[in-house]
Amino acid sequence: MPDPAPVTASPAAPRPSAAGRAARLATPEMVLVALLIGELVWFSAAGTNFLTLDNGLEMLRASTEVGLLALALTPVILTGGIDLSCGALLGLSAVVFGAIWRDAGHSLPVAIAAALGVGLLGGAINAWMVAGFGRPALIVTLGTASLFRGLAEGLTGGAVNYSGFPSAFLHLGQGRILGLPTQAWVLIASVAVMAVLVHAATIGRGLRAIGYAPEGARFAGIPVGRRLALVYLLSGAAAGIAGLVYAARLGQARADAGTGFELSAITAVVLGGTSIFGGRGSVWGTMLGLVALGVLTNGLRLADQPAELAGVLTGILLIVAIGVGARRGRA
Amino acid sequence: MTRPLWVALAWAALLAVVAAVAPAFFDPVNLRDLVVRASPLLIVACGMTIVILARQIDISVGSQFAICGVVAGLLARTGLPMPLVALGTMAAGAGLGLINGLLVARLGLPAIVVTLATLVAWREGLRFATEGVWVQDLPAGFQWFGLGQDVGRWLVGCAAAAVWAGVAVVLGWTPAGRAVYATGSDAEVARLLGVRPPVVIAGAFVVMGALTGLAALLSAVQFIDVQANAGIGLELSVIAAVVVGGTAVSGGRGSLTGTLAGVALLATVGPALTFLGAPAAWERALQGAIILIAVSAEGFSRVRGLEGRHA
Repeated sequence: MPDPAPVTASPAAPRPSAAGRAARLATPEMVLVALLIGELVWFSAAGTNFLTLDNGLEMLRASTEVGLLALALTPVILTGGIDLSCGALLGLSAVVFGAIWRDAGHSLPVAIAAALGVGLLGGAINAWMVAGFGRPALIVTLGTASLFRGLAEGLTGGAVNYSGFPSAFLHLGQGRILGLPTQAWVLIASVAVMAVLVHAATIGRGLRAIGYAPEGARFAGIPVGRRLALVYLLSGAAAGIAGLVYAARLGQARADAGTGFELSAITAVVLGGTSIFGGRGSVWGTMLGLVALGVLTNGLRLADQPAELAGVLTGILLIVAIGVGARRGRA
Repeated sequence: MTRPLWVALAWAALLAVVAAVAPAFFDPVNLRDLVVRASPLLIVACGMTIVILARQIDISVGSQFAICGVVAGLLARTGLPMPLVALGTMAAGAGLGLINGLLVARLGLPAIVVTLATLVAWREGLRFATEGVWVQDLPAGFQWFGLGQDVGRWLVGCAAAAVWAGVAVVLGWTPAGRAVYATGSDAEVARLLGVRPPVVIAGAFVVMGALTGLAALLSAVQFIDVQANAGIGLELSVIAAVVVGGTAVSGGRGSLTGTLAGVALLATVGPALTFLGAPAAWERALQGAIILIAVSAEGFSRVRGLEGRHA
């Protein structure tokens, strides 16, 4: 990938024109907020039952798994990396949960621990290859995506569908606590952790430095290898949690669980203004991107529009968003 | 030893194991089916090699593949002669590639995000347009180009071989090929040498699209109907084959010989597994393991090279 554009500020910069000021105001976050307002106005007019509390909560429920992946992907992409394997790892974690609980007959806590362990182990493989060997993240995670999905297919023979989970477990995906969907609390906790990690801790500044210039970050005394290992481990852990939430929400675990989720998660992150080259981005942006995507899918469905339209619009949105981001980066 | 040689050795070892355990694998009919099935993959992999050599990536090929297959079916249904159908399908693919190429080369947007967006947009757009209905009632001249199974199979295999040889010649022995390597190695230096990197990059995406169109046609003619959901996950198998063949994702390094070896190895693993008595469900896991081994092998040789220099 090309290096990010150097950040230079000439001392005698000309006064910004009105158009220039408008362009500076058009941060990805502001564009997203404008888009969200537009979506809300349009869907409230076009759809039935769109602007209700229950619908909002259901939207949150449906977005949690992609949200968890997108949250963990934000620091990965901040370092200039990528994790294409998180959707497949979600599937493997869900399948392992089902296999340990039903086939091996272990108790619920053991099965949950196994699923989380699979997530961490998968993240560790990515971390080892990317941080330890210095191999390109794109290809490493392409390979592990194939490996994880393949293991899930092999374990289930491509056909077994685990279901019939106890209600205590299904509560995680279908119940509510204090009025909010149970998994929303998991998402909120993850947002808090990631926000502190990326925005409040020195680690976050280190991640940005790695994204701008890995070599420079190393000379600045940042332990690049350990930081990279951390973000890929976190991504694996998030996939493990998301796999459990997925299995609990749908009440089943199949080898194809979470297919394409990595693409939705990357879309949410990039839509939220995080530069795919690394160095620039925020957790808030990712959450805005996630909400914009969720509202789009949900609103179109309630407005009786075909579901495919959401995919087409998402693609167009993604290109417009990076187009705006690229213009701003060059300005 | 070079990477293509290693991959070829691994392939030979796999074939030797299969020969010892399940000689039925080498039945001519089975080998013929294997080649015919791998042909579209090889054609798309040739295009992907060009794109990756130019330091880009195209993950939208699966969606392009699906659209081109449907376009081929619809064109054939209008009664056009097959050569024109082939041209039209390749033109459709080239058009899709041009959109990617312009977004990447003209606007300077990162290829992985652009092609991620087009992957989703085109797949969903196709589903929107066809509502998942397969293209049926194709004219008699569509399946195997109306030449019958035997000649048709030969045609598919020969087309793939011709594409491979053609792209290999262009990449290895023409100024256009040099320009691709130069752009992928260092776009700025290439520009100073008189190469126009944006043109090269856009061109790589256009060729990629046209070859994907050809592959979609050669795959579609093998069946009575054209599926509306073909090519899902194609980008992964294709990129895997190219990378296993030793082409570096950082651009400028790699060869079509390696891509041929990569396609041969990855296309043989699945069927070989079945013949060895292992359940086919493990095929993808094995492919993933092969990619990881190939990726880390590159890491080892690089580390060794560094040690040698410092010693």
